Amino acid sequence: MILKRYIPIAIVAIFGSLTLSAWFIDNETIETFANDDATQFFDIIAAFAVFLGALNLLKLQFIKFIKKQKGWQYSAISILSFFFAFIIGFFIRGAYFVDDKVFFTQEAALESIIILDVSKEQQEEPYKVQENSFKNLSDAKDFAIKQNLITPVDWGAHVQKNGSLFQWMFKYIFSPLSATMFALLAFFVASASFRAFRARNFEASLLLLAGIIIMIGRVPAGGLISSWMVMYLIVLVSGLYIHYLKKKNNVTIIFTLAGFILVTIAGMITGWPIDKPSIFYLPLLQEWIYLVPNAAGSTAILMGIGLGIVVTSLRYIFGLEKSYLGE
Amino acid sequence: MFVLTLSVIFIMLYEIRLTKFTDKLPFLRSIPGLKAIEEAVGRSTEMGKPILFVPGIMDMNEVETVAGVVVLGHVANMTAKYETELDVPVARAIVMQAARQVSKEAYLTQGRPELYNEDMVHYITDDQFAYAAAVNGIMQRDEPAACLYMGKFFAESLLFAETGNSIGAIQIAGTGSQTQIPFFVTACDYTLMGEEFFAASAYLSQEADLIAGITAQDLIKVILVIVILFGTVSRALFDLGLVSFDFITLIGI
Repeated sequence: MILKRYIPIAIVAIFGSLTLSAWFIDNETIETFANDDATQFFDIIAAFAVFLGALNLLKLQFIKFIKKQKGWQYSAISILSFFFAFIIGFFIRGAYFVDDKVFFTQEAALESIIILDVSKEQQEEPYKVQENSFKNLSDAKDFAIKQNLITPVDWGAHVQKNGSLFQWMFKYIFSPLSATMFALLAFFVASASFRAFRARNFEASLLLLAGIIIMIGRVPAGGLISSWMVMYLIVLVSGLYIHYLKKKNNVTIIFTLAGFILVTIAGMITGWPIDKPSIFYLPLLQEWIYLVPNAAGSTAILMGIGLGIVVTSLRYIFGLEKSYLGE
Repeated sequence: MFVLTLSVIFIMLYEIRLTKFTDKLPFLRSIPGLKAIEEAVGRSTEMGKPILFVPGIMDMNEVETVAGVVVLGHVANMTAKYETELDVPVARAIVMQAARQVSKEAYLTQGRPELYNEDMVHYITDDQFAYAAAVNGIMQRDEPAACLYMGKFFAESLLFAETGNSIGAIQIAGTGSQTQIPFFVTACDYTLMGEEFFAASAYLSQEADLIAGITAQDLIKVILVIVILFGTVSRALFDLGLVSFDFITLIGI
């Protein structure tokens, strides 16, 4: 009980209070603890925990593969990929430099500096390394290694050095796969928008309208659409709505005509300026939607999130919330 | 900031004490997303399909992840009760350990330890898109009847939610990641937005101490709204030259 309940709660309370106090107390020790030491503690624990995660991953994938469960082929790829990354990360340097050139293996690097000269004069000692000739290939290789003509990348740096095998894997396998997943987002945004923009009710219609204004207002073509054209469109749509409500042709025609005439007269008086009245000019309207109603809504949500985080954190620090321990 | 933090602590402790003194649970409005969790578990049970729970992609140092793990405990209670299969792929090894502990305790609490399987919570990878690909694969292969996303999310949120939508699963999301809320709202059946997500534990447990914390949170919010309104009016009056002091400058904003 003490080990599983009270000690974890005490640790959370002590470390939580210390981290919180670092914001208010001007003390270098506490600040260093909160900003550096505590973060490093966490990183060290996380680094060790990764072994548990990796073992769990391997165990499940092996079980799936051996039992030929649904999708076992993917498990085989996972296992192969895991060991490939593991081996080239821990056991193979994968980068040997000859001047500016980089090779995956030492053998390939040696082959690049050993020249096989088969001319008549050189038949006795056909292998050349710089100005030196050798009878056997192995002698030539030994010489090249002893003379440090090949520089292997340092252990540790090999996972970051450009041109290394690990970097090759990262650049040509891992990154394209990640980018593919990320690119899927574009299609998902389209399909999600399609559903969200269906005018099912008043809120969805409002969202649709705001979405259209933002999209058109943000592209260069949006700036070419006169606010008068938008006004004509509003009159037309309002006319259709009135027709939908009243179902009387006369009312619809009178309303629409009156609207058109009013807009035309106003336009003739003001000289049809493209961006006036500015409330109907799409680039300005979208900016207003973005900076006023959108910012107001998101700020309210943000305040709620901030308060939620503060109160939840305090609940953990005071030991009121113990569910994360399984209680 | 120090005064503000102290005020929050004071209000929270006061509310807890008040709740204990009156011995009556404060009113907590109904949160559809949380009510729907039981519905989702029931649906999965009827269909004989698993429930997929995704606790976000961040580690236990994020409050949202901890809140997600707490919700997982409640979900595990329900799955133990209804004997429904639960699948929890995680992106961090520490989260895996915490989620296992919480789930195990839930199954023990329900008196069904034999149903608990350690591998129901399993690690995938730390990488964002590799994790997203793996979870999407699980969704496509196992076709869970319910997908719950509770934690901190980034760009992968829509990848999960749209895939879940395509397999016809009932989807409930909860996050404090402000930028991801619109995606979840669009693609999921229910979304716990920000503070609702942090109130989930109190709502599901119905514990007086936790609900008192939510009441305190609401009280602070009311105070903040009053301060904002008062600040706006005083600033307007100050700009018009009707009053000589500016409240906003006075409180140092």
